Amino acid sequence: MIDGPSTSGTRTTLNDVVVVDVDIHADDPPPALAPYCELPWRRSLELQGSLPSRYLSYGGYSPNLGLDPPFPGGPNARSTQTAAQMREELDAISVDAGIIFPDHLLLMAQLPNPDYAAALARAYNRWLLEKWLAAEPSLYGALVAAPQDPADAAREIEKYGKEAEVVAVYLPTSAVYPLWGHRKYDPIYAAAEAAGLPVMLHSVSAVFPVFPFNVEQFDTALARHTVAHTFAMMANLISMVTTGVPVRFPKLKICFTEAGVSWVPFIMWRLDKEYNESRREVPFLEDRPSTYIKQMYFSTQPVEEPDNPRHLAATIEVIGDDHILFASDWPHHDFDHPRHVFDLPLSLETKRRIMGGNALRLFGIPAPAKPARPRA
Amino acid sequence: MADITIARVTDFAPGSRRVVRTGRVEIGVFNVDGKYFALPNVCAHQFGPLCEGVVTGTFIANGRTGWRRRWVHEGAILTCPWHSLEYDITTGRCLAYPAIKLRQYPVRVEDGYVVVSV
Repeated sequence: MIDGPSTSGTRTTLNDVVVVDVDIHADDPPPALAPYCELPWRRSLELQGSLPSRYLSYGGYSPNLGLDPPFPGGPNARSTQTAAQMREELDAISVDAGIIFPDHLLLMAQLPNPDYAAALARAYNRWLLEKWLAAEPSLYGALVAAPQDPADAAREIEKYGKEAEVVAVYLPTSAVYPLWGHRKYDPIYAAAEAAGLPVMLHSVSAVFPVFPFNVEQFDTALARHTVAHTFAMMANLISMVTTGVPVRFPKLKICFTEAGVSWVPFIMWRLDKEYNESRREVPFLEDRPSTYIKQMYFSTQPVEEPDNPRHLAATIEVIGDDHILFASDWPHHDFDHPRHVFDLPLSLETKRRIMGGNALRLFGIPAPAKPARPRA
Repeated sequence: MADITIARVTDFAPGSRRVVRTGRVEIGVFNVDGKYFALPNVCAHQFGPLCEGVVTGTFIANGRTGWRRRWVHEGAILTCPWHSLEYDITTGRCLAYPAIKLRQYPVRVEDGYVVVSV
């Protein structure tokens, strides 16, 4: 699978492969969702639109502690407001089709009121279908499942699961409590499995009094961002495997996004080691934990940049190249250009799988037409 | 080498910039405190349009500052709009990767115009 320099003489470029991006973000500030939200919550969203906010931080909507003093420069606060703008931007980075996640609702798992959280999820899902998925054929969407109200989330999946543009269920992962392995979430998994929709865990960097604990002790965003996403993914993956989610829902596809890939071999190997002596605690597992993890899917961004790119290629080989999905995270500050993954020392067959083939199969997306683009 | 006339000196004030294309080359020309500097409009990381980024200062912290942060080089630090890698406009040096130094195109003032040799 790991490949040497091309000897064929013709250089393959992004224009030669289908690029499906499994993690792009639609900006969803309170005023955008307000017309789609039921009363009384709509009145709050209308009000919140007139209140001051920082990047991805509205108190009572996308609450973020905002620990760091802002300075000129630093990470960008890009956002994408319309389907047409998204299509134009994806063309510029050679992406043929994408799966939309929210911006602000990345933080929704910490909202304490279940009625409000469920209303926000319903409003987002309506807005997503009408403003984004109906507007642009190459855009697909992940329904938001409010962890605060699993029964309502299951109804949303039943309601929209058959829409062709709805290809996944997004599980808000930042600050989710309890972790996604808890049985209270079984209605969501049952509905997603029945609808044939993969669930996609997606976190965000923030500080909360829940897992991951103690990140507030770091005094830089660099330190917090290094571990916030990966710790959230590790905690929830361990939770799901050790409570038997993949056993109880054997047809459910589980996908982890925005944490890179280097943590995955670590978790596989550590869990297998513990399984040797503690199998009796997880008697419902029929095989080593890594057997289940190898059936899960992992998206690339923010992809690691080791000195020697072959080390990253080897990591991908450990996980399995049929379970890695390209993601850019466009338009966020740490997005990856598809070329950054495409240029890894991997065989062309592996590149085709990672850049789009795996996603087309997993999400049941028809192969998009490749528009003629300037040399990528 | 070809000369490109960028602007009149009187139209190119300190703190401003021009991004120009010649053939397949895009460069950014910057006026930092009355001195002109020209860099390629390509970040060494993922090839983002570097010269379209914001120009600010940055932090240093070392033994001479007592390991406290100090805001320095105001107006001389260019931040890539894609992933925010910082470059010193006056040297072409990437702050995160000192081994990376961008090409610097010669800039001169001739007959009241700013001219870059590409």
